Amino acid sequence: MNIAEAAAELRSREVSSVELTQDSLRRIHAEQPRLNAFITITEELALAQAHRADEELARGIDRGPLHGIPYALKDVFATKGIRTTVGSKIFTDHIPDHDSAVYEKLTEAGAVLMGKAGLQEFAYGITCNNPHFGAIRNPHNSACIPGGSSGGSGVAVAADMVFFAMGSDTGGSIRIPATFCGCVGLKPTSGRVSRYGVMPLDFSLDHMGPLTRTAHDAGLVLNAIAGFDPRDDTSSRHPVDSNPNKGLRIGVPQNFYNERVAPEVAAAYVRALGEAESAGATLIPIHVPDPAEINAISRVILLCEASALLEPYLHRRADFGADVLALLDQGRLLPATDYINAQRLRRVYQREWARVWDHVDFVLTPTSPITAPKIGQTTVEIEGVPEDVRLASTRFVRAINVIGLPALSVPLATDSPLPIGLQIIGKPFAEASILALATVLAK
Amino acid sequence: MTNWKALAQARELDIPPAAVEAISPALEGLEQAFRPLLAKLPFTIEPATTLSESAVLGE
Repeated sequence: MNIAEAAAELRSREVSSVELTQDSLRRIHAEQPRLNAFITITEELALAQAHRADEELARGIDRGPLHGIPYALKDVFATKGIRTTVGSKIFTDHIPDHDSAVYEKLTEAGAVLMGKAGLQEFAYGITCNNPHFGAIRNPHNSACIPGGSSGGSGVAVAADMVFFAMGSDTGGSIRIPATFCGCVGLKPTSGRVSRYGVMPLDFSLDHMGPLTRTAHDAGLVLNAIAGFDPRDDTSSRHPVDSNPNKGLRIGVPQNFYNERVAPEVAAAYVRALGEAESAGATLIPIHVPDPAEINAISRVILLCEASALLEPYLHRRADFGADVLALLDQGRLLPATDYINAQRLRRVYQREWARVWDHVDFVLTPTSPITAPKIGQTTVEIEGVPEDVRLASTRFVRAINVIGLPALSVPLATDSPLPIGLQIIGKPFAEASILALATVLAK
Repeated sequence: MTNWKALAQARELDIPPAAVEAISPALEGLEQAFRPLLAKLPFTIEPATTLSESAVLGE
């Protein structure tokens, strides 16, 4: 069942929010030992919020499509009185005294918080093999990683524990777990969703967005959480528009995105392009601004900003996992001039990407060149070339955060035992169009 | 090639030499990818530390 279906049943009184919440709790308790999707389960709060949702609906108070719907928050979103660990030892006992903007909005929308989902330590990486809270496991094969850093969120949705989960995405951290776990993941345009009250990893690359079962559901969640927030300096005043544009010109990159792709991913991608054409889209071969160059810019920015942010804790080396510590050490060794020049280059490439939209309405790529690697695997080999698992997994998604564009990962039909995702990149603030295209392709 | 160990020492960073050695290949790879891009930068381009909607929208 998806959000739209559950919302309809809630209103026809076929089911109550308490029943949905109890079902969700049963799934969470049954799967938590195998998959480890949650750091904190908020059972008491969830049942209280569900009772309130039912009482309100009975009194004719309807807060919209998320009213009474169980969901999870990645454990980077501050929740007043509920511990928010950021997946770290350093913040293991951290209990915020305020709510994040996203949690405020979801509470206002009547959604039911089931718990705080697990993640990579400090949201810094993609394996979710967390040294402090244990490895999070892929529901399709528990020997594999779920992707990250929003791995618990992806697992909670894909394993039917919740109807949707919130994630954060700095270099693919929503889209990678979406593709590896087989659900929908939306990274909105920069400024679309407030970052207020979210533990940052990178001030200028972080984005907040939902993981859901369908593209339509992602739209329902986005509508509830989007909008201007004066507490976030990068928050946009651009109007939230849920009407898709009519354009169906699809850019098919002839550079970068067709290099070193696993055969099963390439096959699923080609099939998806064929289906898009059958649905009436015009496929247009294009060259996109070099993602390899933008990825290098992204790495410089992220290494520097994350190390600057966590500087006050870096003397506690034993409290960090080895993989995160290695990244933080790298950031401390880069010169300030590189950081400044990376941000200047960012503007160059933003302008180059803006010209892409003169010719197409969307750009379609595989979300990741690979399917989910095994837990503990450090390299993958594609076309005979070994590559670091983190760099391979993020190769097709990372650049989009630098540019600030909206992008969605949607599962593709495949014979592969592990899920494969299609990335739909759109014009700034064109989330509704992206979601409409994804819905057409899903049919 | 940048001498990362010497750099860490000179800046008195509390990063053990073995840790610097372990991350040196990653830093070297990043240098090789990033350094050539600087030739693209005209003096007039300012940093985009917070995203400019006008740049993103191409205005």
